[in-house]
Amino acid sequence: MNTVEIKNLTKNFHSTTAINNLSLGIEKGKITGLIGADGAGKTTLIRLVTGLLLPDSGEISTLGFNPSVQKSLLNPKIGYMPQKFGLYEDLTVIENLKLYADLKEVPYDFDKLLEFTNLKPFQERLAGTLSGGMKQKLGLACTLLGSPEFLVLDEPSVGVDPISRRDLMKMVRDLITPETTVLWSTAYLDEAHSFDTAVVLDKGQVIYNGNPHELAETPQEFENKVIELMGGYKKEKSLIAENYVPHKTDVECTVEADKLEKKYGNFYAVKNNTFCIRRGEIFGLLGPNGAGKSTSFKMMCGLAKPTSGTARLMGIDIIQNPEKARSNLGYMAQKFSLYGSLTVRQNLEFFAAAYGIKLSERKKRVEEIINVFGFSDIQEQKSEDLPLGFKQRLSMACALIHNPPILFLDEPTSGVDVITRRDFWNHITSLAKKGVTILVTTHFMDEAEYCDRISLFYKGEAIAVGTPAELKQKADAGNMEDTFIKLIKESEKE
Amino acid sequence: MIRESLRRIFALIKKEFITIWKDPKSRGIIIGLPLLQLLVFANAITMEVKNIDAVVIDRDNSVESRELLSRFEHSPRFRKFYYAENEKDLKEKIDNQKVQIGIYINNDFSSSIKAGKPVNVLIIADGRQTNSASIAGGYASQIVTDYNNEINHAKGAQINASLRNWYNPNLEYRWYILTVLVSLLALVITLLLTALSIAREREMGTFDQLIVSPLSSFEILLGKTVPPMVIAMVLTCIMTLIVVTAFKVPFAGSAVLFLISIFVSLLSIVGVGLFISSICKTQQQAILGVITFQMPAILLSGFISPVEDMPLFLQYLTLLNPIRFFILLTRGIFLKGMGIADVTLNLIPLLIIAFITLSLASWTFKRNLD
Amino acid sequence: MKILQALIKKEFLQIIRDPSSIIIAFVLPLISILIYMYGINLDTVRVKIGIKNDDANPEISTLVKSFGHSKYVNSVVYDNENDLAKGIVRSKLKGAVIIPNDFSNKISKGQNADLIVITDGSEVNTANYVQNYSMQIVNQWLMTGRYARLAKPQIITPEIRVWYNQDLNSHYFILPGSLAITMTLIGILLTALVVAREWERGTMEAMLSTSVKKIHIVLGKYIPYFVLGMLSMGFNVFMCITVFKIPFRGNLFVLFAVSGLFLFTSLGIGLLISSKLKNQFLASQVSLGIGFLPALLLSGLMFPINSMPVFFQHLTRILPPRYFITFIESEFMAGTVWEIVIINSIFLTILGLILFAAVYNNTDMRLIK
Repeated sequence: MNTVEIKNLTKNFHSTTAINNLSLGIEKGKITGLIGADGAGKTTLIRLVTGLLLPDSGEISTLGFNPSVQKSLLNPKIGYMPQKFGLYEDLTVIENLKLYADLKEVPYDFDKLLEFTNLKPFQERLAGTLSGGMKQKLGLACTLLGSPEFLVLDEPSVGVDPISRRDLMKMVRDLITPETTVLWSTAYLDEAHSFDTAVVLDKGQVIYNGNPHELAETPQEFENKVIELMGGYKKEKSLIAENYVPHKTDVECTVEADKLEKKYGNFYAVKNNTFCIRRGEIFGLLGPNGAGKSTSFKMMCGLAKPTSGTARLMGIDIIQNPEKARSNLGYMAQKFSLYGSLTVRQNLEFFAAAYGIKLSERKKRVEEIINVFGFSDIQEQKSEDLPLGFKQRLSMACALIHNPPILFLDEPTSGVDVITRRDFWNHITSLAKKGVTILVTTHFMDEAEYCDRISLFYKGEAIAVGTPAELKQKADAGNMEDTFIKLIKESEKE
Repeated sequence: MIRESLRRIFALIKKEFITIWKDPKSRGIIIGLPLLQLLVFANAITMEVKNIDAVVIDRDNSVESRELLSRFEHSPRFRKFYYAENEKDLKEKIDNQKVQIGIYINNDFSSSIKAGKPVNVLIIADGRQTNSASIAGGYASQIVTDYNNEINHAKGAQINASLRNWYNPNLEYRWYILTVLVSLLALVITLLLTALSIAREREMGTFDQLIVSPLSSFEILLGKTVPPMVIAMVLTCIMTLIVVTAFKVPFAGSAVLFLISIFVSLLSIVGVGLFISSICKTQQQAILGVITFQMPAILLSGFISPVEDMPLFLQYLTLLNPIRFFILLTRGIFLKGMGIADVTLNLIPLLIIAFITLSLASWTFKRNLD
Repeated sequence: MKILQALIKKEFLQIIRDPSSIIIAFVLPLISILIYMYGINLDTVRVKIGIKNDDANPEISTLVKSFGHSKYVNSVVYDNENDLAKGIVRSKLKGAVIIPNDFSNKISKGQNADLIVITDGSEVNTANYVQNYSMQIVNQWLMTGRYARLAKPQIITPEIRVWYNQDLNSHYFILPGSLAITMTLIGILLTALVVAREWERGTMEAMLSTSVKKIHIVLGKYIPYFVLGMLSMGFNVFMCITVFKIPFRGNLFVLFAVSGLFLFTSLGIGLLISSKLKNQFLASQVSLGIGFLPALLLSGLMFPINSMPVFFQHLTRILPPRYFITFIESEFMAGTVWEIVIINSIFLTILGLILFAAVYNNTDMRLIK
């Protein structure tokens, strides 16, 4: 018996085809992982299955209902968690739970959920003040209310730290019944590998549907196989790095944090943070959600004022001379923050000019970036209409457009598909070789291996600093993910 | 250095234009809405009271009383007449607002006239709309007085008003309202363009991106000022052209002075808008800020009720109101041909408002970082 | 029912946590009442006029004094016509009176004497006041002064009575009328962003996949803001009657019943803007653009609807404040006149229902892209 049966489904948006003559069955009682490149049609497929979008042609049957006309019958049996889950940020944790319980017409039975999410002590907190990981857990808890027959999760683990990610997975596995069907879209291939079935989408079509373990034994191999399926990734010389013109400098620490501190009342968001990053070094800032990484980041580029201490970029003090210091900086924010109503090209042109690139050079530079990042087909699209992965790429492109000696990347790869991620890191490492100093945060622990040095952040403080090998040794763990979890747990004990 | 700075400012200006101009809905709101409002308001609004309906009780029913009533019937301001049987009927007509005016002629009307004795004609106005009531009542008593003068052959001195209505010989209300509307609509649209601009970028997170770029506060301010200024200037000029050509209001003053005046006036409004925007974190706060400014600014601009008539405290408050000076200038240059000295005098407060609000806005950009 | 309750409760929690709704509902009306009370005056407008006396007869100085004594006129004596003209250009003077040199001479002979009245025609309203006040003062002077016996006796005198507002206090109608403008603003502002916000923040997508029905979403927005709006209305009425002592001759129950109908239409406008545009930026722009001026200028509060060209008179029929102003002014000043109550209620109900239907139809239960 299949929970979802799709035949010859097609969905177009204006001129672009999102779903192209797709047929698929999703087995009852199984967890199905949905993976695919950015813009492959994952979110569209999920919205079609839940009846939030109407198909152009083809048939869908979800739990025996036709979502196009029987949405109201279908809804009570589904738990759907959209990518941007609709928590009411000005409502408390418990108020959000109660609201969604009422909307789903189920009783207020939150004990188990609160326990699993560790949200019990925070029931009265406003949802808006929770950390990213906690928000996702609360969103998942709301989705799980009433034990839906069919659970549909659209990238629940984007932007979530490894510990919270494990919690999310555990919640789903422990709280569902054996009859529950789960459709889980994810960018983490280790997650997908652990599911019963993996469905790989590409250009609106299914290119693989089967047991992930049949495809590969280990998550690492699985990742390579998926990449192969999606057309393969050939590591090429990074054109961005090729075209990069190195800046000469005598400064030893191109990026320097000098006893940075941020206090809110009596609470330290960041405490006594000092580090020195040398030219051409990739420095990773790792830590759970809410540990103070973003605050540090913002202080480093002058978006937040430190309570005490300062930061220097290329030796220039960010507090005393912010404009000059920032002209050395390429910044990619965590949240997509480019101009949504501007096209891809217009965004690039704007940032090129905002960083003072001459008109004659600007044209060349924009063309170059469009080529390197593969924007040729979408350069005239409004950036707000792009899939998440493309938005991230565009943010990265805008941060790089003025050839900066320093790059700050705040979760550059969250929500980006596996091929693009590799491509990103190819550029990042090549740029570093050319002498660009890079400060980066990430929740993908495999990516931490690319860093020259890592600072592990927890509760506003750096609890460990060193090369990936040193940290692994310190934690006595085989990979970065275990290292991360171990070191955090240890610090918690102290 | 300066060339780089200009390049950055120009990029920001271009971006602002694209954001404002690209969406056809937004284009419609910015250009279509004010022009439509100009046409509707200009045609609809008038202070002249026309189409007055009246209820009449004529107890005298004589040649004289009918003669007086026929004056009313022939007046272009009056429309319908109901002849009521009794007072109750009259009261009901007025209560239900079927009529705006009641006329009551007593049964001694003709006899008194013949005897040369003074007699009254009662005119009842509906005080629920006091404004038009007193105007309509004025018309009615004018008709009565005219009739009196016609039949009154007694000798004696009288005083005639030799009226000279400067700048607007026929006291056409439309001339007045149009020059005011140009300023009011320019205010609404300029605030709309500026007040949301920074608040929106804050809400979307793009403002951080701007701050991280080498753009200085001053450059951001300039980039945020120029596009709304250009759009509002063009719009105000289009509206002025419509007023001159389609509504045939004579333009008495100097075009150069007029352009300078609207430039400075709009600059001060842009300043207010950007200041509101810079202190707001969300668009909802911004829209609230705009209304809290716009409503008092319009009501206390002298358009509805003269500034000189307000309590002293409010009169001082209006010195902060750019729309007060804006209206004074558009009307003054447009209809009165105000000269350079008087224009300059009214430009000074506007320049001060613009300077203060723009400086505050640019200062808040930096301060509001955290 | 449970779903609707939950949605209403959620909306109230959001209202309480967000000070801007409270500001819109209570602070904004307070500001507006104060402005209409103290800043706006349509009856006893005091005009400043210049007087130039060319008549050397000492008796005429009593006429100049009469101008000085009038409570409607603030007069300044000028010797030079040029200065007078300058005063008018600068809007320092709203008009001028020039007494010609043969003025007293003609009156003494029992002839018609001309008085030159100059007005600033660029301000039509005040120009009319200048005219009327000057002529009133002069005629009064003629009838009561030394020349009284020379004046032509008047036979028929118009006697004006203003019903419901004998002393022509314009605040008696402006304040109740202004409530209509304020309530329009409140209705639109409170709701213009609330649906757009849910789309932008993604809460709508999550909500649409639950058991929520369209009617729940629509009522879940109408009801909380209706309650808040009515509280605001109550606050307004209380301020008008008790603090500003505006006489109220009507029935409070009728007043609130019709106010409820009016609020229903205003909320409909805001919700329609919000659900149609689904974008806070555009929704804000539209509500700012249409929220205030049409209600102020076309509703009949400031300018008579009867005098508009027929087409525009019909156009005002789509404006809810038009009906509410007619009703509320009458309810305050004349008491409950059932015919007025019923006609305006019918129109408000029709408009409200049309808007409700439009909001319902524009409430999407699916995503478009």
